[in-house]
Amino acid sequence: MLLEARNLHIGYGDAPAVWDVSLDVGVGEIVSVIGPNGAGKTTLINAIAGLLRCRQGDLRFDGRDMTRVKAHDYCGHGIALVPEGRRLFTKMSVEENLELGCYLAAARAARAQSLARVYDLFPILGQKRRQLAGELSGGQQQMVAIGRALMARPRIVLFDEPSLGLAPSIVDDMFDIIARVRDEGAAVLLVEQNVLKAIEIADRAYVLEQGRIVTCGLPADLLQQPHIREAYLGV
Amino acid sequence: MPSATLLGQALISGVLAGGMYGLLAMGLSLSWGLLRLVNLSHFALAFLAAYIVYELGTTWHVAPWWSAALVVPAMFGIGAAQHWLFDRFRVNELASLLITFSVAVILEAGIQLYWTADFRRYETDYATLSIKAGPFFIPVLELALCLVAGVLAWGTWLWLRKTFVGKALRASVEDADIAAAYGVNHKQLAYLLSGIGAAYAGIAGTFIALIATLAPAEIWTWLGVVFAVVIIGRLGNPLGALLAGMAIGAAQSLAMAVFSPAWAPVVSFSMLIIVLLWDPEWL
Repeated sequence: MLLEARNLHIGYGDAPAVWDVSLDVGVGEIVSVIGPNGAGKTTLINAIAGLLRCRQGDLRFDGRDMTRVKAHDYCGHGIALVPEGRRLFTKMSVEENLELGCYLAAARAARAQSLARVYDLFPILGQKRRQLAGELSGGQQQMVAIGRALMARPRIVLFDEPSLGLAPSIVDDMFDIIARVRDEGAAVLLVEQNVLKAIEIADRAYVLEQGRIVTCGLPADLLQQPHIREAYLGV
Repeated sequence: MPSATLLGQALISGVLAGGMYGLLAMGLSLSWGLLRLVNLSHFALAFLAAYIVYELGTTWHVAPWWSAALVVPAMFGIGAAQHWLFDRFRVNELASLLITFSVAVILEAGIQLYWTADFRRYETDYATLSIKAGPFFIPVLELALCLVAGVLAWGTWLWLRKTFVGKALRASVEDADIAAAYGVNHKQLAYLLSGIGAAYAGIAGTFIALIATLAPAEIWTWLGVVFAVVIIGRLGNPLGALLAGMAIGAAQSLAMAVFSPAWAPVVSFSMLIIVLLWDPEWL
């Protein structure tokens, strides 16, 4: 397995937000974590990105123990985050945002190639490369956030609610992009409220409710479960 | 109304004096804008550097440029050490103001202890040298100060704009966590930037030693106007700091020539208020 999380407990202050969560992401896989608002999805993905410390449990990436790795060293191991709400550097240009993605030496060496690849994937960003990131539309900002992650030449991309706040017409494009990221060689861990799409695109999916994994499995199996159908699909 | 020659001379003197405001404002602007630390001790550090340059020059007859070669790197070290304190105690924006105020008071006391409260003047052969351009006189030292400040402001601006380190610093102000997620070690960069800010205080101090009369209480002289310059020039923008410094210097000097010297502080703070009313997002 590329990413192995075992019995993670994560929390802010005294209140744990995620209990005893275990999940795996293999090379070339898309793994989705679905669940309602406030279930701890963002907490979980931020911990896997190194932004939050786990209080307990074991987090391994490519066999390496990540619990003692500093936050700014996660990226160097091949983990890139597309955060919830995009969190672009709004007062910097589109291209500067992308360049921040290849800040580390190894990725920086491939700066020109990576930029060409991102502009190929999102031609509109090439046209707006000198514009301030904060001035773009929501969909375009999401493209910058994904492009920034790709610039890091990651082995896994963590997507946190990539379809949140986007026009329905763009949501399908976003999922196509996620599939393409995987097809080009990176594994994907996807956290989504758009349950149906997140399950459909995934190789495997986990359901997180109130900080715990309640069920997991193959997409076809999950879509058959009465609880999933009732709570998330409304059928 | 004063003559055109007098106004022209006032303008030249004002812009040149504004170079000092800009030079002092640059270091403050960097740490306030990019680290969210307001460093009141910046002025005290500049005067400490000035006193050392004075001491080396008068007692040991070391030329000021050699003194600067010694003092500026030492100031870099002091700035980085100061940042260690900020980092160690997780100092925020407001606390930094209070703490560096205390540091400034302590430095002032230290300076007074060693050099006494007497006025000190570093006499050099070139202190009063000036170039004559038509009807105007341009003092050479102040011109040199402005050139140095110009090179520093332009260089620092390019550094922040064009290099990966500069971009990482700008990104970290907006979202330090996400910058870290892409590998930015903000702690390390903050030490570097604090050192640079203090080194600029060392450069300013060298010129203060040559141009001004030194006394411990003088560390507070420029506080007000330089704060106005930092804010008008936009936080974290070294080029803006220098241009704002020169603009305020010119405005003050003209106000003094046309009205009376008492008007100088009114000018800088009126400009500050106008700028803030005009664009409140400036800060």
